[in-house]
Amino acid sequence: MPSSDNQSSSMSFASYRRPILGIRNDQIHSMGANHDSNAQELDSFQRHVFAQFKDLSAVSPDELLSITWVQKLLDAFTSCQEEFKVILSNNKDQLLKPPADRLVSEFFDRAIKALDICNASRDGIEKIRLWQKHLDIIICALDARQRMIGEGQFRRARKALMDLALVMLDEKDTGGVFSNRNRSFGRHKGKGHRSSGHSRSLSWSVSHSWSASKQLQSIANNLALPRGNELAATNGLAMLVYTMSFVLMFILWVLVAVIPCQDRSIQIPFAIPRQFSWSAPFFLLHGRIMDESKKREHRNSSGLLKEICQIEKCVHQITDLVDSAQFPLTEEQKEDVKECVRELSLVCEVCKSGLDPLERQLREVFRKIMSCRLEFLGKTTQP
Amino acid sequence: MDTGKEKSNIPEKSQSFVSRNNEKDEKKEGNQPDSDQNHPQNNEITTAEAQEPPPDGATEVEQDNVAGEAKQDNVAADPETEIKEGEEATDLKNEESSPLPPDLNKVSEEIDQYISNLSSSKQDDSNPPDVPIFVEHFAVLVEAKIEDYDYSDSPVKWIQLSKEDSTSFLDSINRVCRLSSALSEFSSEYKYAYTINRIDGVLQRAMSYIEEEFKSLLEDHKLSDFDHNNNHSKPRQSTSSNPNQDAPEPGPVEETNSPGYVDENLSNLIRLSTAMILGGYESECRLAYFVARRNALDESLHKHGFEKHSIDDVQKMQWESLEREIVAWLKIFRQCAAVHFPSERKLSNAVFSDYPLISESMVSCLSRNMVIQLLTFSKAVAMTKRAAEKLFKFLDIYEVLRDVLPTMESLLSEEIVDELKTETSLIRSWFADSMISIFGELENSIKADSGKTPVPGGAVHPLTRYTMNYLKYACEYKDTLEQVFREHQKIDRVESATGSEFEYNPEAQAQNANNEAKQSPFQLQMMKVMDLLDANLEAKSKLYRDPSLSSIFMMNNGRYILQKIKGSTEINSLMGDTWYRKRSSDLRQYHKCYQRETWGKLLNCLHPEGLNVNGKVVKPVLKDKFNSFNKMFDEIHKTQSSWVVSDEQLQSELRVSISNMVIPAYRSFLGRFSSVFTPGRQTEKYVKYQAEDIETNIDELFDGNAAPAGRRRV
Repeated sequence: MPSSDNQSSSMSFASYRRPILGIRNDQIHSMGANHDSNAQELDSFQRHVFAQFKDLSAVSPDELLSITWVQKLLDAFTSCQEEFKVILSNNKDQLLKPPADRLVSEFFDRAIKALDICNASRDGIEKIRLWQKHLDIIICALDARQRMIGEGQFRRARKALMDLALVMLDEKDTGGVFSNRNRSFGRHKGKGHRSSGHSRSLSWSVSHSWSASKQLQSIANNLALPRGNELAATNGLAMLVYTMSFVLMFILWVLVAVIPCQDRSIQIPFAIPRQFSWSAPFFLLHGRIMDESKKREHRNSSGLLKEICQIEKCVHQITDLVDSAQFPLTEEQKEDVKECVRELSLVCEVCKSGLDPLERQLREVFRKIMSCRLEFLGKTTQP
Repeated sequence: MDTGKEKSNIPEKSQSFVSRNNEKDEKKEGNQPDSDQNHPQNNEITTAEAQEPPPDGATEVEQDNVAGEAKQDNVAADPETEIKEGEEATDLKNEESSPLPPDLNKVSEEIDQYISNLSSSKQDDSNPPDVPIFVEHFAVLVEAKIEDYDYSDSPVKWIQLSKEDSTSFLDSINRVCRLSSALSEFSSEYKYAYTINRIDGVLQRAMSYIEEEFKSLLEDHKLSDFDHNNNHSKPRQSTSSNPNQDAPEPGPVEETNSPGYVDENLSNLIRLSTAMILGGYESECRLAYFVARRNALDESLHKHGFEKHSIDDVQKMQWESLEREIVAWLKIFRQCAAVHFPSERKLSNAVFSDYPLISESMVSCLSRNMVIQLLTFSKAVAMTKRAAEKLFKFLDIYEVLRDVLPTMESLLSEEIVDELKTETSLIRSWFADSMISIFGELENSIKADSGKTPVPGGAVHPLTRYTMNYLKYACEYKDTLEQVFREHQKIDRVESATGSEFEYNPEAQAQNANNEAKQSPFQLQMMKVMDLLDANLEAKSKLYRDPSLSSIFMMNNGRYILQKIKGSTEINSLMGDTWYRKRSSDLRQYHKCYQRETWGKLLNCLHPEGLNVNGKVVKPVLKDKFNSFNKMFDEIHKTQSSWVVSDEQLQSELRVSISNMVIPAYRSFLGRFSSVFTPGRQTEKYVKYQAEDIETNIDELFDGNAAPAGRRRV
């Protein structure tokens, strides 16, 4: 579904949305106590989603998109997913019958696609780890606490920067932050830099043709607001499935935005419904993240993760310094180097301590999605 | 000394002067028509007889020996000229720059002495001495040497260097390292600053060259040749229902050489990695090694048929293609544990023999990356739609995950093993759930098989064939299935308590309840499937209007089942003797039933009742008896020779038992009464069959020859 359609449908949907909710409520109310508890369950799920994402959307600009924030985002998702699972199993009978069965199976199709993005993000973390190995060299070369920084160490740092540039460029077809840098390396390198593509090509766990943005798009494509008759026919469960699908798609969109993934893009057209109690935090987050991506320094970033941006900034500065410095260094230059290296070491420390838990969490999310699917579908195949 | 001081006062200028000077030398060399990058020594003699003679006299000749025939001839033919040229060059050079020390060996000795002096003067903590001039000479000489090897466009390959050259190079670099670290103790001394910077620069040049050579040596490997050592296949007897099932399993780990590196390369890898680590370039060394080996492993996986598929794609794949991928995956996964990881460990232990911690972390990172990739595929398969035909591949994957992990435990660090254990046991439980539900689906499909068309001739029903072959094949994985049901079935059993699975056969339920204590969950599962099959067959036998044919149908199917069970020790041991005996006696009952139904009725015709009235044979009654016997026998023969008993033993058992029953009776009847008829026409009319004819006809029964009349009855 093209984005414009999606957008317009969701826009106009708001206007006729209320009567539909009305129908649903009327129906539920007319169905007696048993269904009241169902309605309560569904309402509490929506409130839960809102509560989880409200705090996330309200963080300071400093915290937004940091590793710890992404961890909280995944926590929020996991928590919603757990609630969702409980409601699924409470309503198993109904969800196995048409028309709800189709919605559920569509959800699990999306879940499968989500697993690929989880894996791609995990690859992305592996990629950042590889960058770190290059950054270690740069820090080691330029750390004044360890040694006197002479031309040799500058050349060493430059070599590492060039290799890093190639690695960071690797997953981006379009010129990234380093494309210009790279040319300037060409001018400055004293000796022919023998880059045999040695450190190129991180082994992704998917084929070369796989694309994070296409995958995300295909998840977003078949995600449509439930129609009134669906809501009525599923006793509101269509709304549950829609909400969870949306949350899933949203966190995947964030993952692809922040972590280097194969063929990533932040420009995935999808509509955020306006009419739900939980809509606001998602609107806010989407806006903030889009704004962040439009910032000049992030335009060609490998990922919007705050730590990546900091790394890119430091690398940028150090590259400039290394390229322009004349020996002997002035005191100011020495100070600049020191400052850059200090910043870079700090962010590397944050990465070192943060990426492992983040990776574990991604694995956990993968498991949760997978077992939710297997458990539910497993039950359906029981004799 | 003076120049040295001067230089340290104006470091920038003098530094650039020296390097410019070197560039000039290099250019000069480049301009020489016969300049050949393989012959750096040749050029050395011309430009740097004074600047850089070979380390000692003995190696000079050897160097030339290695450098190549042509050059050797050249040198041997006219050494005088060479030296002359060298002298001229030196003269030229001397005019341009400060006098250079003649001999790297001599300078090296001085440097060694200086290093030890530095260490002791540091202990004095007094005002350290000025940096002597030969330090700069040393720097220039080593730098020139590096420049000789590390040409900007086409650096000299490390493997092209003679052992002596490379040793002397590494010696020099090692001296630079030691000098650098000795000097670094004085980094606060202003007068040392230039020299520290200078030596560090030389070190970096050297390390840069060594790093690139290290990388290119690492890339110079062949794929590990592990196809030869895995001909040991799994001890599974049959592949009847699935011919391409068995992936070869690697045999015991052979002593493989480190993956694909010739001994010479390996020893160079060790030398270069040691030089880098000693020179403080450990990070570069680790990175280069990691990236190169990761790419090599990746390539090797790819070459051996491991394709990267997204989980989404795997769901969409046709089972036939996915099956092929699984077969490749199984092979590769076993190979990883049996070949790749051990040889990877061996390699890194060799390259980092003095640095076990580096070796450990390299192996761990590399293996972890690889296992995670491989596990992703198994996860993707675990998610595919369940289907009966997938059971066997699922079992293969389950077994590999179970069996290969312990091998990996001995190769990987504890932390990674823990992670892998969690991952693999989770994946195994997914597969186990799938397999258990596949059995559930098997039950369902048996229950649901309610076709109203009976199999012609009472032959073995396709459902029986399918189910038994499936079970037989499944039971080749008996131990694994026992494990699967024992370890993973809990949830299902809770569910089955609320379900209605046992309702179809309360007897079986009672029986199962009695035996539950000694029967394993998988045995119970098998019993359940067999009972369901029996119940289904029982229902199918009712489709035949002729009770004899019903019996034949039950005998055929029962016999087929027993034969299959007898033919497989696994199912046999699962079902047990008691069960087998019970089924055999059931079959005998069907046999008796059949005999009674078909042949009992026939023999009634021969009953002497009513034949003898007052000691005389009543001829019309006898005629009737013969007539009805003949008619009935004809009818039986016609009908039942179209029936099918394909099991030869059963067929002959049936024929023998029929003959035993019918022929003596007929013969004695014939003996008693045939003489009543007048010989000739009358006898011929009523005594249609001799005993032998009866036997012949009986032998034609159950051939499945659809006589035209046979079609009337099914």
